[in-house]
Amino acid sequence: MLLALLLCYAAFSALCLSMPRHHDELLGNKPSARRARVLKLAGWLLLGLSLWAAVAAHGWSFGLVDWFAVLMLSALALVLLLLPYRPRLALALAGLSLLASPVAAWAQV
Amino acid sequence: MKEGFRQSMAWLHTWTGLVFGWLLFAIFLTGTLAYFKDEISHWMQPEIPSRPINAEASLTLAQSYLQQHAAGASRWLIDLPDARDPGLTVRWQQAPNAPGQRGKFESRTIDAQTGSEVQARESLGGEFFYRFHFQLQMPYPWGRWLATMAAMVMFVGLITGIITHKKIFKDFFTFRPRKGQRSWLDGHNAVGVLVLPFHLMITYSSLVIFMAMVMPASILASYNGDVRTFYDEVFPASKTPERANRAAPLSPMAPLLAKASEQWAGGSTARLTVNNPGDANASVVLSRRGDRVVHDFGRAVTFNGVTGERLGSTPEQPVAMAVGGTFYGLHMGHFAGSTLRWLYFICGLASTAMIGTGLVIWLGKRQLKHAKSGVMPFELRLVEVLNIASMAGLVLAVAVFFLANRLLPTDLLGRADQEVNAFFIAWALSVVHALLRKGRKAWVEQLALAAVLFIAVPLINLTTPWNLGVTLAQGDWTLAGFDLTCLGAGLFLGWAAWKMQRAGGAVSVKKTSREKPRPIALEQEVS
Repeated sequence: MLLALLLCYAAFSALCLSMPRHHDELLGNKPSARRARVLKLAGWLLLGLSLWAAVAAHGWSFGLVDWFAVLMLSALALVLLLLPYRPRLALALAGLSLLASPVAAWAQV
Repeated sequence: MKEGFRQSMAWLHTWTGLVFGWLLFAIFLTGTLAYFKDEISHWMQPEIPSRPINAEASLTLAQSYLQQHAAGASRWLIDLPDARDPGLTVRWQQAPNAPGQRGKFESRTIDAQTGSEVQARESLGGEFFYRFHFQLQMPYPWGRWLATMAAMVMFVGLITGIITHKKIFKDFFTFRPRKGQRSWLDGHNAVGVLVLPFHLMITYSSLVIFMAMVMPASILASYNGDVRTFYDEVFPASKTPERANRAAPLSPMAPLLAKASEQWAGGSTARLTVNNPGDANASVVLSRRGDRVVHDFGRAVTFNGVTGERLGSTPEQPVAMAVGGTFYGLHMGHFAGSTLRWLYFICGLASTAMIGTGLVIWLGKRQLKHAKSGVMPFELRLVEVLNIASMAGLVLAVAVFFLANRLLPTDLLGRADQEVNAFFIAWALSVVHALLRKGRKAWVEQLALAAVLFIAVPLINLTTPWNLGVTLAQGDWTLAGFDLTCLGAGLFLGWAAWKMQRAGGAVSVKKTSREKPRPIALEQEVS
């Protein structure tokens, strides 16, 4: 479940950054159209990847439940706890999740 | 109707949400607590020791206990302990005195390692929250009907909420704290949208669970009103042979566990039912533990109690029932391990918070109009009192329920009922208090009291042999986790009370500086 959680969190952070308003709030400038597109694509790819990670770890029935659970949890944590209060930390954690995910993937296999 | 579709949906969302909001808040909070039903029960009956799980040994102990104490019974029921519920429970039913009557049930809890009887304090434990969640402490069938109606309203609330919310994707990541009404609405939208899969699943599945009660027409029509036949066909009872009236010793049941596990591809047994123990035609029915997402209604294997020969097993359930079983399984979450169980719990709290914020917004919007005069019309005051008592009061009552478990003498007559009474008395007093005190003061006081009571739970527990020091040292994470969660809840409520107090001060300060065209902008966005 850890790998799926890390990927979900990074995915939502990327999707958040792909929106000009949030990009501006977090990084102080509007993203170029290309950058926004890349972030959006990366976000959706990571979401897909996290679904794969959850299903690979636990089979379809448990995996889907796990995936929905981490999907909701990571979004809740990002939007209600981190973004409004500790935006820098939110981004740092997203980076860390990405860095840690290969380790988690290796531990899961 | 001149208004657009979205306006009428917003109207429906606003008013159904208000009328059923208080009840739904209670249903969701108790339901969320029920995810930890076994853990709560364990904490409330700490005399039942938790032992390393060994199903075979436990079953052998249960069998010898029953052979000593209930040899002549017509039926035995054995509930094996698991990681969450340490109790090895045996129940037996005496043969009825006259045919057609139901024999009397007796129940004992025995130590899963020594086989001796455990005298645990009387308590409903987590079962109370679980039952209240769908029966609402009302006589059968009224509570179920009311709860199901509330579930339907919840479903309407979700759908209308989705339609009303114009910018689901644009505002997906938006939460702006410290902005008064704006923040409440942001919060309501955020928990609503981000946890939407859970809201929809839990609400829809609750309707599926009671579908035969709510919409029996198809069953009644197809079976000419004979509901019994329908259930006999849907849940084929495993054939239990008639009593032979010849004595024959029951063979040891422990080996049957492995045989059943083979049938279930590794699944384990939760309960054994022994029919006619001691008779030549004794039969043993093993029911499977709910360890899969798809709940399997009544999946069981039956063995001959004397020879140990397999008599039969219920067939694979048809697809339609598997679909129903999926909703049932998802709603109950029996299969969830501890991590997933916590996530269920958090999602449940999010649903509860969504309902709570909705109620606060309803009142907040209307209060703004009366902020200057300082006089609140009766209906708004009514909503305010109900908001306070249904939210802060309920939380406070939960803490009282836990405290009563530790403070009432263990040998008190009707102790389990007294705990429940303490819960409802505390809840009723919160209504009285909310009536007597002004809105914000009542909020602050009740939240603060709830905080104190929740923090008192682990503190008072320090005087018992199951205190945090012992449980942490032993690594008993169920008991320690309960205490720590109460502590956490207390700290959170204390923070909430403090915020509420400060926000009250801020509002009066702002009122003097008076400016801001915000309420108008807000009005347009909400409805």
